[in-house]
Amino acid sequence: MADVAGTPASPESPAPPTGPSARSRGGPADEATPLRERVLALREGSIIVVTLVVAIYFALNTGAFFTSANFKTLLPYVAPFAILGAGEVFVMILGEIDLSIGGTYLLAPYLFYKLANGGFPLVPSVIVALIACMAVGLINGFFTAVVGISSFVTTLGMLFTLEGLTLIISNGEPVNTPGAQVHQTHRVVTHVVNGVHIQLQEAVNHIGTFAKFFGGGVYSEIIWALVIVVVLQVLLTFTRWGLHTVAVGSNKLGAAEAGVLVRLVTIRNFILCAVAGGLVGVLQSVSSQTVQPDTAGANEILFYGIAAAVIGGTLLAGGSGTVVGALIGALFLGILKDGLILQGVSANYLLFYTGLAILAAMSINAYVLRLRRGTHRG
Amino acid sequence: MADQAPAPAKIVPPTSAPDDVLRVEHISKRFGPVTALRDVNLHLRKGEVLGLLGDNGAGKSTLIKILSGFQKQDGGQMWLHGQPYEPKSVDDARAKGIDTVYQDLALIDELSVYHNLFLRREKVHRPFPFLANREMKLEARKALDEIGINIPRIDVAVARLSGGQRQAIAVARTVNSASDIILLDEPLAAMGAKEGSMILDLVARLKAEGRVSIIMILHNYVHVLEACDRVSMIQDGAIALDKPTAETSVEELTDIVVNEYRRARAATHEESA
Repeated sequence: MADVAGTPASPESPAPPTGPSARSRGGPADEATPLRERVLALREGSIIVVTLVVAIYFALNTGAFFTSANFKTLLPYVAPFAILGAGEVFVMILGEIDLSIGGTYLLAPYLFYKLANGGFPLVPSVIVALIACMAVGLINGFFTAVVGISSFVTTLGMLFTLEGLTLIISNGEPVNTPGAQVHQTHRVVTHVVNGVHIQLQEAVNHIGTFAKFFGGGVYSEIIWALVIVVVLQVLLTFTRWGLHTVAVGSNKLGAAEAGVLVRLVTIRNFILCAVAGGLVGVLQSVSSQTVQPDTAGANEILFYGIAAAVIGGTLLAGGSGTVVGALIGALFLGILKDGLILQGVSANYLLFYTGLAILAAMSINAYVLRLRRGTHRG
Repeated sequence: MADQAPAPAKIVPPTSAPDDVLRVEHISKRFGPVTALRDVNLHLRKGEVLGLLGDNGAGKSTLIKILSGFQKQDGGQMWLHGQPYEPKSVDDARAKGIDTVYQDLALIDELSVYHNLFLRREKVHRPFPFLANREMKLEARKALDEIGINIPRIDVAVARLSGGQRQAIAVARTVNSASDIILLDEPLAAMGAKEGSMILDLVARLKAEGRVSIIMILHNYVHVLEACDRVSMIQDGAIALDKPTAETSVEELTDIVVNEYRRARAATHEESA
C-alpha cells in the first residue's frame, strides 16, 4: 500500500522515504530548485521579466523615462487598469468575464454627480453610487449563476444598457465633477535675483480634501490601486472567499458537490468587479474634474483592464490567476504607452505598436508557461 | 422482517432492523421522459458496509445523489436515525452526518491536498478570518496517517497525484468530517489492482473501527463479496436483490445480470421485429 501511495507524482520529486523525514515541508526537491525556476514557478514570473525588460529598454533609450516627473504621469495612468484588472481577476478565475465594468465606470460618476448636486454630501454620494454598482454586479451574477446565461452575453448586454442609461441621464453632455473644483489663490513670493529682492505674485492651486483623497491628488489613484491590489490579493490567497473562487473556477461541479456555494461565490465576485469599475469611474472623474459620457473611452479602459488581468497571468479559462499579476500587467501597458510617447512615436503608430507588443508579451508568457509546465508538471 | 404494504412483484421490500441508521422507502426520480428510479427501498445498519450493484443507467448514482442532498427525489421518503430525512442541500446532508465521495471525486485540481481535505470546512483564524493553513496541514497529515494513507507531500496541487492517491484523499475528506454515513460512488473506478486494494484496505479499517456506516457502489462482484456485509442490486430503478454477502455468491449475482441482459436482448429484438 505504501509503495502505491509513494509513487512519485513527477520526475523531479524522487520516491520519498517513508517515515517522518518525508514529511518535512518543502522537501529536497524544493531546496535544490534554482532561482531561475523559482521565478518561472511564480504565476507572475514571466510578465515581471517582460515588464522589466521593457522598462530597462526605455530607460536606456529615453533620458526622460527614468525621472520623477515621468513617474508622476505614468503611475496615475496605470492605476485605473490595475484596479479594473484586480476586480476582473476574481471574475476570470471563475472562468467568467465582466464586460460591464465599462458601464459602471461610466455610470457611477453620473450617479455621484446627481446625488451631490441634489445636496447630498460628497462621500455618501460616492458610497451610494458604488452601492448602485453592487446592484449591477448582483444582476450580472444572477443572470450568470442562476439563470445560466453566459457571462460574456450577460455583461455585454449590461455594458450597453449602462452606457445607454448614462447617455440618457447626462443628455450626452459633460458636467463638472462635484467637489473637484480647483481654487486658485495668489501669494506674494520674494525672489532674490542678482542680489535684488523682487516680489512676485504666484498662483497656487488648491484642491479640497475630498478631491485629494478620491483621485485628485498626484498619488491618490496609485495609492488606491496599491491598497486594492494588496487587499484583493490577500482575499484571494488567504481567505475562504479566494479559496472557493479558485475551487469554482477549477472544477465547478466538484466544488458544488463538496458543498461550495457556487452561486454565492459567483455573484459576490461579480459584485466586487462591478464596484471596482464604479470606483475607477469616480476616481477618474475627480482627477479630470469632469464627468464625461464618453462611451468610446469607457470601452477602451474596459479592454485595458481585462488586458492587464490576462497579461498578468490570469487564465481566461478560469481556475488560476493573481491580482498582483494584474497590477504588473497594468504597469506593462502603462510603461509601453508612456515609453513609446517619450520616444516620439507618432500618435498614429501608437496603437499599432501597443498591439504588437501585447502579442509579443503574450507569446513569451505562453512560452514560459510551457517551460514551467515542463519543469514542474513532469 | 418485512413490515409494510406489499410491493409490486420483483421489488424486494426493505428488511428493517432496529439499528438502521438510514432507511429509504419508495424513492422515485424522473428526468424528463427518463425514469431513473422507479421504487427504491433500502436500509443501512450501523457500522455496516453495503455494496450497491447495478447495470450502467440502473440508477445507482441518482440514488447516491438523492441521499447526499445533491438532488431531490420526486416521490418516497427517507429516515435518518429514525427521523424523517429531507436534505435541502449537500451542506444540509453533511450537517446531518451523510457525506459523499463522488465518482468525479469533487477534488479541485488547482488546490493543494490539505485545502482539498478541508474544502468547505476550512479552519480560519480569529478575529481576522484568514485561512489557518499551518493548522490545516498538521491536521491533514494526522488524518491521513490515521487512516493509513501515505501522501508524501500535502502542499502540492492534487493535479499532480495518481488516481489512487486522489481517491484516497477524497475518501479521507469524508472520513475526516464528522460524518457517520459515507457514500462511495465507484471508489475503484479506473484504478489498478494495487491502488484498488489500497482503497479496500481503507474501507476495511473503517469497518473495523465501526464508527461509520458505508454505502459503496461497485462493479466487481469479487470486491463486493470481499468488502461488503450486504449487497443490494438495482435493476430498472428498483432493488432486485438484497442479501447478506455471506448468503450469496458471484454465481448468483452474475445470473441475475445475465438474465436481465437476456431479457433486454429479447425486448430489443421484439421491437425491431
